[in-house]
Amino acid sequence: MNSWIRQVRILDPLTQRDQIGDVLIRDGTIQAIDHALDVSGADIREFDGQGCVLAPGLVDLYSQTGEPGHESRETLAQLLTAAAQGGFTRVVFLPNTIPAVDTPAQVVQRLTANQPNQPQFLPWGAITQGTEGKRLTDLIELGSTGIVGFCDGQPLANSLMVQRLLDYTQSLTLPVAMWPCDLNQTGICRDGADAIRLGLSSLPVTSETAPLTALLEEIATSLRPVHLMRISTARSVDLIRSAKARGLPVTASVTWLHLLFSTADLDKYDPSLRLAPPLGTPEDQTALIDGLEDGTLDAIAVDHCVHTYEEKAVPFGIAPPGAAGLQLALPLLWQTFVTPKRWSPLQLWTYLSLRPAQCLNIEPASVQLNTAANLVLFDPHDAWTVTTDSLGCDVINTPYADQTIWGKTKHMWVSAINN
Amino acid sequence: MADNTWSRRHIISLEDFTTNDYQTILQTATSFREVLSRRTKKVPALQGQVITNLFFEPSTRTRSSFELAAKRLSADILNFSPSNSSLKKGETILDTAKTYLAMGTNLMVIRHQQAGVPTIIAQEMDRINSGVGILNAGDGQHAHPSQALLDLFTICSSLDKTNPNISLLKGKKVVIVGDILHSRVARSNIWSLTTCGADVHLVAPPTLLPKHFLEAFSQPPKTGKTDESMGNLYLHWQLAPALENADFVMALRLQHERMSEHLLPSLREYHQQFGITRERLNACKPTVKIMHPGPTNRGVELTSDLMDDPHLSLVPMQVTSGVATRMALLYLIGGMQ
Repeated sequence: MNSWIRQVRILDPLTQRDQIGDVLIRDGTIQAIDHALDVSGADIREFDGQGCVLAPGLVDLYSQTGEPGHESRETLAQLLTAAAQGGFTRVVFLPNTIPAVDTPAQVVQRLTANQPNQPQFLPWGAITQGTEGKRLTDLIELGSTGIVGFCDGQPLANSLMVQRLLDYTQSLTLPVAMWPCDLNQTGICRDGADAIRLGLSSLPVTSETAPLTALLEEIATSLRPVHLMRISTARSVDLIRSAKARGLPVTASVTWLHLLFSTADLDKYDPSLRLAPPLGTPEDQTALIDGLEDGTLDAIAVDHCVHTYEEKAVPFGIAPPGAAGLQLALPLLWQTFVTPKRWSPLQLWTYLSLRPAQCLNIEPASVQLNTAANLVLFDPHDAWTVTTDSLGCDVINTPYADQTIWGKTKHMWVSAINN
Repeated sequence: MADNTWSRRHIISLEDFTTNDYQTILQTATSFREVLSRRTKKVPALQGQVITNLFFEPSTRTRSSFELAAKRLSADILNFSPSNSSLKKGETILDTAKTYLAMGTNLMVIRHQQAGVPTIIAQEMDRINSGVGILNAGDGQHAHPSQALLDLFTICSSLDKTNPNISLLKGKKVVIVGDILHSRVARSNIWSLTTCGADVHLVAPPTLLPKHFLEAFSQPPKTGKTDESMGNLYLHWQLAPALENADFVMALRLQHERMSEHLLPSLREYHQQFGITRERLNACKPTVKIMHPGPTNRGVELTSDLMDDPHLSLVPMQVTSGVATRMALLYLIGGMQ
């Protein structure tokens, strides 16, 4: 089926295009872009794009899938629905499934599950066997199987292993993503006045900044590029800003919920806001937004992580960390930053599509003639209520439950993976 | 006894309590104290109502105090404790609350080791329009409003037994010493005492009294009051300056596990630096009174002779005030059902 999208706002962060026009997609390739097209033929599906945005499909840097191992949380089919609803054409998932993505066979199995014209799931390959942080995987072999890069999704506690990892993978161009976090420091709420007021145990800022500093020193020694994931404090933003100014080869990401919430939002003790790392203080939140805007932080990640009702129907302090996000990140970030004109639509698309692709060293999708159509048609004005039915899942693992939000993906065109 | 100004269905935290709320509670508690002094100590105020003590965290003293208060008000009592519950069989806290709702519970008194549980249950009870009132009997390190309110009643009664009222607190210096970081009692007392006009001085080593306390509690609570009528909050990492001219000294229980968490070197050093002794009380006003929410580690937070000195210790009065205060709270939110 060919598509003719009429009078749509075309956004392309790669070429900085932002214009109203028509787009024609034939056989999965963008064949024409113009102010207005005159297209005829029986095999053309016409889309009225007025009020909508047509832009490259979004790329999620890291999310978690329940399948295999925890299908009661979320199946791959449900994750697929979530990604499609949210405008994500490519989702890179963390390897901490059961079994973990730590061997070529596991990688092949995951890649062959992808279907044409549906969001593509790409695996991070595990750094350590079983993502247990004890022994390195066969990194070179694993790196040749189609993984996007190496990441455990867990902090690496062993500093010698970090050093060896960065040295050993210097010959590989695949990215390495690391989460700076000291698991020995306990606490469920970022240290500050809110943690004290709410009676939640405090997690010091140094639980992130101390391992980040050590990691930056290792990177300065090896000069091996690293992506720093789940950055959540103001001080970390400062450290990364200095590191980039020194020319260290780092990129960094923040999750969408850390941009939208802070410890000041924990008054209701909503277990959906129990995250790892925990939400920052209001000062952290401001610094994360500023860091994204000044380029210190490169991209926004979703870090989608669904738990069962039973797992989350517990007090805040003992709830497992994580929340759903793939369906919600785009509409809520648009609503919060684009609608009040703090960000341009191109800016948001840069953070959610172009930069994540660049952090992953994969070819960014673009709205250009004769390129594969990897596109999303998004209506930022379409209102809907967040329920299990509208999300198409069994549980509602989000602070936005039962709220009406604006912004819906109308259609997506997905090209084959080419990384 | 009924007060038309009372409009709260739940008592979860004192963060947004007004001086009117405190005054209403003191007046109501005074009336119930009079009831408790009669030969027949029971009134039919909550006859026919069901009060459930949902104590997910084990408790003897607070639960007994609430149970006696409910019985004095002629309510029917249900007691839930985790040891004999179905929580171990996978039931969630909301399932448990809804089970007791289905039995006809009107008021739930909730204690849990995790902060926020009474908040979550109250939200759910309101969402389903159950009409049930929630009284927080202690949630993690967050709040213990009934303890702070009985402390308020005790302090005001010690200043004027016949007419305990919040104006008596203006300019009074109340010292709270001990494991403030982990104390829900301290947090609730900071809200109530500063809102009622007392100056509150917190004392502990820095590991048990992070500087964020000042920021967390120094903003006026959501009471609509002006700054001038509120008392001030002060932090001290040494005991001596805090005790100077103090009117009340409240010691908090020190849990033994704080040593293994590297928060303190030893009980010995703690008592040496922060323990309340008769000699140290010399720096306070001659009329100083000492308090403790219990249970006390004798010889750690307070020396034994102080605990047992009827001229100094308000500890027995705190326990007695507890029943009258909890009767007042159950009565007031019972009237909202």
